[in-house]
Amino acid sequence: MTFEDIFEPIEVISYFKEGKLRPLRFRWNGRVYKIKQLNGHWISHQGYSKEHHYSIISDSSDYFELLFNSADFDWQVARVCLGG
Amino acid sequence: MTKISYTFMHKTIFHIDADAFFASVEQGFNPRLRGKPVIVGGKENQRGVVHTASYEARALGIRTGMPLFKAKALCPQAIFLKGSYDHYRAVSEVFQEVYLKYTPQVEFTSLDDAYLDLSGAAHLYPSLQWIAAAIKEDVYRRTGVTLSVGISNTKATARIASGLNKPAGVVCVPAGQEKEFLAPLSVDLLPGIGRSAKERLLDLRIFTVGQFARLPKMVAEQLFGKNGIKIWMYANGIDPRPVKRRIIPRQISRETSFEEDTSDMKIVKGTLQYLTERIAKKLRQQNLLCRTVGVKIGYSDFKRHAQTRSMEYPSNDSGELFTVVEKIFTELHLRRIRIRHTGISVSQIEPQNYQRSLFNEAMSRESLNSAVDDIRSRFGFMALMPADTLELKRKYRMDAGGYILHNPALTR
Repeated sequence: MTFEDIFEPIEVISYFKEGKLRPLRFRWNGRVYKIKQLNGHWISHQGYSKEHHYSIISDSSDYFELLFNSADFDWQVARVCLGG
Repeated sequence: MTKISYTFMHKTIFHIDADAFFASVEQGFNPRLRGKPVIVGGKENQRGVVHTASYEARALGIRTGMPLFKAKALCPQAIFLKGSYDHYRAVSEVFQEVYLKYTPQVEFTSLDDAYLDLSGAAHLYPSLQWIAAAIKEDVYRRTGVTLSVGISNTKATARIASGLNKPAGVVCVPAGQEKEFLAPLSVDLLPGIGRSAKERLLDLRIFTVGQFARLPKMVAEQLFGKNGIKIWMYANGIDPRPVKRRIIPRQISRETSFEEDTSDMKIVKGTLQYLTERIAKKLRQQNLLCRTVGVKIGYSDFKRHAQTRSMEYPSNDSGELFTVVEKIFTELHLRRIRIRHTGISVSQIEPQNYQRSLFNEAMSRESLNSAVDDIRSRFGFMALMPADTLELKRKYRMDAGGYILHNPALTR
């Protein structure tokens, strides 16, 4: 099992509820992944802007770390777990 | 009357330590890593050492500090991760949130390690074990990380107790029985007894804490200097240190290994300046000053040289600190061999609670630093950088938080 740093922009469908943001599905490399399980969420700070990290398992049973930047509202695939 | 004075005399101190912290965070946030040997410190083909190994990896012989290539040879099936300081800090903030529910007296000694003084709050809860269980449960639910807890009357005994029943254990030492509790334990469990100190004690046929505690205090002092008295007190269950909400670090250091050994002085000096900037920012953030600066150089033949120098007056100005760093580096770098590793440290740290100078030059430097810090707090650390450090762009990727160094430190 290996982890790759990707940091590529993606399109995400998400919803905001009770002050929290939750990703639902995303498109990466032309393929749509549905988020089956949200393992955890943490926030890092870059100046005044916040980066929200989401550790998720997709419907294809792949592990991804998604990144939402609160300054420019961009989503990225930060890391992906390959193999194993 | 007796009971009241007893209550006031005895403190209730928790030492809480996360088990295999970095590896536990990775396993907690990624179910596919659970039950597998996980090694945090770098990729298997990188230079560097194991920072943390999960309990599954430890069972296969992996230890903290082991070179990554050796860990790979010993445990080829292990999963190697670089780790992320930001992630670990975010988890540590959750710990803090949980601890502060029980007492305001919390002292963090590192991201995963804290003392809690519950002397004034323990009576609000059913029992000390109940508090420990509640804290452990809350942290596990929110982060997937398990904690080990030691409870005692003193910080030193609580720290030793937390290490005795890992992972996820709780060890409570009844008040007044610290000395008896410590007596049968191995002497190297005492804070301050490292490998060489242990060997000296073994030569004297001192194997247990109890045997060390029975030595006259003077002998402990002769063996280990001033530190010997402290260790002797710990062995006797005495430790007057209070739990402090803010601690002044004895040293702050930043170091990095180059991806390839280098003789490019622009890169080496740029790196030194970048590391100095980061230390100065940390000092100013915590309202601290330092008086002594140190530089470390590691060569490609693995020989290392280090030197420190004290300044006339304490400072947290990156320009002043880097002037000293440059002087030390010029004196220290005498070998014509490529450099593998470099680092900066500052010590003799003190709080900045007085006006440093009445003169304009120092005051304008302070204003400049304050403006730089303000801009960085809004736009990120890389928003303003000394021009020489831009040389590093050739070598490293960067984000708003700084250059992404080879094997960045995971604790800062």
